[in-house]
Amino acid sequence: MNLFSSFAIAVTALLAHKTRTLLASLGILIAIASVIVMVAIGKGSQQEVMDVIAGMGENLVTITAGEMKRRGGRLRLSGNVTTLSPRDAERIANEIEEVELVAPHEEKRMNAKFGNNAAETTITGSTLDFPLIRGYQIEKGEMFSERDLKTASRVAIIGKTAIKNLFGEEDPVGQVVKVHFIPFKIIGVFEAKGVDTNGLDQDDLIFIPLPTLMRRIVNQTHVSRIFVKISSRENILPASEKIRELLRESHKLNDEREDDFSLISQLDMEEMKRETSELFTKLIVGVAAISLLVGGIGILAVMLISVKERTKEIGIRRAVGATRSDIIRQFLYESLIIGFLGGGIGIALGVGLTLGLTHWGDWTLLLDQDSIWTASWVCAVIGVIFGVFPAIKASKLDPMEALTIE
Amino acid sequence: MNSICKSYRNIGFETQVLKNITLHINEGDYVSIIGPSGAGKSTLMAIAGCLSQPTSGEYILDGEEVGKLSDRKLSRVRNEKIGFVFQAFHLLPGVTALDNVILPLVYSRNPPSDIKERAREVLAKVGLEHRLHHTPGQLSGGEQQRVTIARSLINNPPIILADEPTGNLDSKNGMETMKTFDKLVKEGKTIVLITHDSEVAEHADRIISIRDGEIASDTKRQPSNLSGNL
Repeated sequence: MNLFSSFAIAVTALLAHKTRTLLASLGILIAIASVIVMVAIGKGSQQEVMDVIAGMGENLVTITAGEMKRRGGRLRLSGNVTTLSPRDAERIANEIEEVELVAPHEEKRMNAKFGNNAAETTITGSTLDFPLIRGYQIEKGEMFSERDLKTASRVAIIGKTAIKNLFGEEDPVGQVVKVHFIPFKIIGVFEAKGVDTNGLDQDDLIFIPLPTLMRRIVNQTHVSRIFVKISSRENILPASEKIRELLRESHKLNDEREDDFSLISQLDMEEMKRETSELFTKLIVGVAAISLLVGGIGILAVMLISVKERTKEIGIRRAVGATRSDIIRQFLYESLIIGFLGGGIGIALGVGLTLGLTHWGDWTLLLDQDSIWTASWVCAVIGVIFGVFPAIKASKLDPMEALTIE
Repeated sequence: MNSICKSYRNIGFETQVLKNITLHINEGDYVSIIGPSGAGKSTLMAIAGCLSQPTSGEYILDGEEVGKLSDRKLSRVRNEKIGFVFQAFHLLPGVTALDNVILPLVYSRNPPSDIKERAREVLAKVGLEHRLHHTPGQLSGGEQQRVTIARSLINNPPIILADEPTGNLDSKNGMETMKTFDKLVKEGKTIVLITHDSEVAEHADRIISIRDGEIASDTKRQPSNLSGNL
């Protein structure tokens, strides 16, 4: 008996019981579809996070005063350290060749006033390199100049959220905002950037020259952060090491003392987020395994019923010359087809949902080809595994008993 | 066909259905096995047709000891050497007469290329050329029985085993069926007919009567057209 005719027999039998066939494949169908969608959601959110990290600044290394500790999955600063200074930033820029841009940075949450409106916002002080490193673009107006830095001028560039809170619909350029009783002239507007990896709004800021902030508002000589842009991704690690050495030397730390600063590179951030998403992936695999098992048991149940119900048919086939393996093959093909049917529709449904959610919904999903291939293989394997037992059971029947069974 | 058959059959609690039956059937014989229900006729036929195996004893069919054959070889024997006609017809439900008749060829090792043509011919031979695409449910009992006979003939086996072929038929269809068997014997087939109807049994040249799993009598009619018997 050739392969085609066993296949044809299986198809005929399945077509004769359409509802049952569909029900049997339903478990697999749902499992495969949900796995594909879940993987797509996982991949999508991972991509989103990576985009956000890249959006915080390409090849970025952040130096923070004090020791950074991970608490609750986020980095938090501990201790109050005053050793990091704009002078360190200058040395990093001048002495380390892999460094492209350096921006010492200080910020403080404060009230800003425009007319009768007051709103709390982040007053950010830094140098000309800051917007370049962190990827802030001027949408309107202009950036302040080198001269503004030297003279500690009272000019500011404002972010979208701060505009909304202070000005509403009004055009902020040319207006004067008061911070800590000091009037600042708004000379530019930043393009919107959205939230960072910690979910903080990056558009809620008023950006002013660093010396203005340090001398006129917070009255201090140290900064809490230095942003550094490295020339290339490959150089992030070696440059970080050089920065560490330079700062230890500059802060006169001997070998016994811990760093009084923390270095976090783009690579570290990606690593952290990757760990989170790997956990998510493991969860998906677990859920997938369980639902596929349930789907497989569905096939098993249906095939066992099918064998029982068709005992007489098996007897007839055996009487006219079907061998055991002919019978096994027939039932195995049936369960394989059920598996592939469920898998096929499941893949179509999963891909359709993924594309639909991306197209019409506010979701970022990323189709993963591997998950589709794996799904196809799993369908075949489940079809075989859960079909083998009923198939062998069917073939073991004594032809005469099979014929006379009622 | 040479068969020396000595068999016990246990069902459940050591019920002996057949007790030490020894039987020899020659090629071309027209044999009927008669006996009351429960005498073990059907069990004997199942063993003769390689549908089940004797608990003990040996069965030699065409020089081969059946008990020693693998499943693959047994299936081949059923496929090529034996045609079955059952009382309950045993046709695949929901499948056309044509496809039911083709079934043995599906499992044949060397199926002919003109399968459908062959099936049509055999169905025409039993007078069903107008019912090719009817399913068993759409056919009368007599017609179903004729489909069964066509199925038993399609692979041209030397032996036909018929278990109560007239049991589910009215007398007119029964007569038709018996005429078909009479014709087949003339074509040289070996026919074993199982029945409890002595009138049907009379068609055969040799009548073996079974009672309580044992052969009660074995009588031969006056030879008419036999090729050879004991």
